[in-house]
Amino acid sequence: MEICNSYSSSSVDSTNPSPSESSVNLSLSLTFPSTSPQRATKQDWPPIKPRLRDTLKGRRHLQREYDTCLFVKVYMEGAPIGRKLDLSTFSGYESLLENLSHMFDTSIICGKRDRKHHVLTYQDTDGDWMMVGDIPWE
Amino acid sequence: MNYFPDEVIEHIFDFISSHKDRNSISLVSKSWHKIERCSRKRVFIGNCYAINPERLIERFPSLRSLTLKGKPHFADFNLVPHEWGGFVHPWIVALAKARVGLQELRLKRMVVSDESLELLSRSFASFKSLVLVSCEGFTTDGLASVAANCRHLRELDLQENEIEDHRGQWLNCFPESSTALTSLNFSCLKGETNLAALERLVARSPNLESLKVNRAVPLDALTRLMSCAPQLVDLGVGSYENEPDQESFMKLMAAIKKCTELRSLSGFSEVAPLCLSAFYPICQNLTSLNLSYAAEIQGNHLIRFIQFCKRLQRLWILDSIGDKGLEVVASTCKELQELRVFPSDLHDEEDNDTAVTEIGLVAISAGCPKLHSILYFCKQMTNAALITVAKNCPNFIRFRLCILEPNKPDHTTSQSLDEGFGAIVQACKGLRRLSVSGLLTDKVFLYIGMYAEQLEMLSIAFAGDTDKGMLYVLNGCKKMRKLEIRDSPFGNAALLADVDKYRTMRSLWMSSCEVTLGGCKRLARNAPWLNVEIINENENNDLMERNEEDEREKVDRLYLYRTVVGARKDAPPCVTIL
Repeated sequence: MEICNSYSSSSVDSTNPSPSESSVNLSLSLTFPSTSPQRATKQDWPPIKPRLRDTLKGRRHLQREYDTCLFVKVYMEGAPIGRKLDLSTFSGYESLLENLSHMFDTSIICGKRDRKHHVLTYQDTDGDWMMVGDIPWE
Repeated sequence: MNYFPDEVIEHIFDFISSHKDRNSISLVSKSWHKIERCSRKRVFIGNCYAINPERLIERFPSLRSLTLKGKPHFADFNLVPHEWGGFVHPWIVALAKARVGLQELRLKRMVVSDESLELLSRSFASFKSLVLVSCEGFTTDGLASVAANCRHLRELDLQENEIEDHRGQWLNCFPESSTALTSLNFSCLKGETNLAALERLVARSPNLESLKVNRAVPLDALTRLMSCAPQLVDLGVGSYENEPDQESFMKLMAAIKKCTELRSLSGFSEVAPLCLSAFYPICQNLTSLNLSYAAEIQGNHLIRFIQFCKRLQRLWILDSIGDKGLEVVASTCKELQELRVFPSDLHDEEDNDTAVTEIGLVAISAGCPKLHSILYFCKQMTNAALITVAKNCPNFIRFRLCILEPNKPDHTTSQSLDEGFGAIVQACKGLRRLSVSGLLTDKVFLYIGMYAEQLEMLSIAFAGDTDKGMLYVLNGCKKMRKLEIRDSPFGNAALLADVDKYRTMRSLWMSSCEVTLGGCKRLARNAPWLNVEIINENENNDLMERNEEDEREKVDRLYLYRTVVGARKDAPPCVTIL
């Protein structure tokens, strides 16, 4: 699943991101290196039977505590370098925003565009831009 | 000229059960052909469209046991549309009409309806055994008719089927007089189970040797079941999310201790690790262990359990066991014959340390001298490892390696894995089944064609460079029966080079390759004894009406198979038979 890319919007100085005419957006980028999106949706690779595939998909979130994390890369509009962070270490949107604000040294909100703040967005599997915060954290 | 009366010859034939041997016998003479066919009880049909039921019954009037296979193998991986075909109904109708004394029916990848099951249950008074593997199209209502009407049912074995669950009253349908059950497997049912009915059924089935329950059977019910069936040899456990309390755990362990005949364990989906521990008392007796659904049990728990399974012959496990775990298997399970290691993580995250590598495979090959079958999903491989494996285990009959990332080279040399697989086919003279993966050129197929003399089934994905690759295989492997290829650059030249080769094979599958519509049409023209099927799920399905230019269009999926009954009439719109 690919969630990425920045908006093409008016360019903004990355060190002093005071928004001008249109608001500036932070975007989340999450990539899985070698699995192409097509293959992932087609569910024909790796060659395992449906029952095993369902079992693996249904693994409870509990498992996350032991092994893997959910790394995402966050880009700020105008800044070429993104920051990587582990979503599973946050308990909800508030702590995520707090952390990102600290990381990028700016104020970030979810929700409606506001000239004074950065807005957090992500791109879903259909390629649509979504506001972070609309769906439950889980 | 026979020197013995027919009855004597028939009696001698009774001792010959292998399908291959019986087929050979029937070719000796007309007289032997007749005796053989009239006495044949068991028939295996690898492709239900190669023959029709009427001709089957005509040839084998004494048929008691029939095995039928429908969809091609790659249907297991979502490459074949659901409506493709493989309907069992016409077979049951024909068998019923001819009053065949059918006792056993085994189906794989076929479409079964409730109507079919109902007809089956009413048509064959001596029916004893129903085994359905990877089938679909029916509900628990169909199971209810089988339970209710098959008075002599001994075996009901449902493996990996898609069954619509109408909420568990089917178990109630076994009459009180039904006491002959030896095997009951409903592990693939997704809904609730009538526990009381199940317990009563198990309690009145003293010959029950194999019981595999579904997720919905909780721990205390399992304890009760095992208590009234201590004779069980083969047990499939349900799902137990929470750690059991002390008392439940002790009761379960006590029940398990009494099952001294238990040799095979499976199930364990959504199972808390402690539940596995309850089986410690009998684990040294186990010969077969399937933990491939136990996605919730971590590697260290698995390792701790397997440490005691010294008699294991068959092990199916997830790669969460890791290379370290496989090293433990190698030093513990000296009787191991078959190993399957499945992927536990489909998301290919870089930080995933627990998947297995070439290290685990080499360890197993070194430690388990009786190993003859392996299915191994891993994230990386090397030629050196494969060469070592080949040296350690020249007795492989089945060798299936799936490197999760397509086209991945030897990670230490960045070269292709041609030499590694070449070593396998050269050393393993009895190899009958092979799946290759990783970065592979035409060379690996040169080796396969040259050395894999007994090879019957070959699976190829993302491999090869030119038509030469496929040609090496078609020309070299004299015993090839099933060839399945996906995402590889083989085209018309390879497909059409030797049309008669397909007379000796059951089937050929090619998807996302370079064959074109024109090539397939040409093949169909030259081989009227083949069904050449084009599967195309796009909108414009009417391929026959396309003009000349489209002959160059690549075919998405091609499936061809020899048949004596011509084009089937039940193909859906997305399938065109040329």
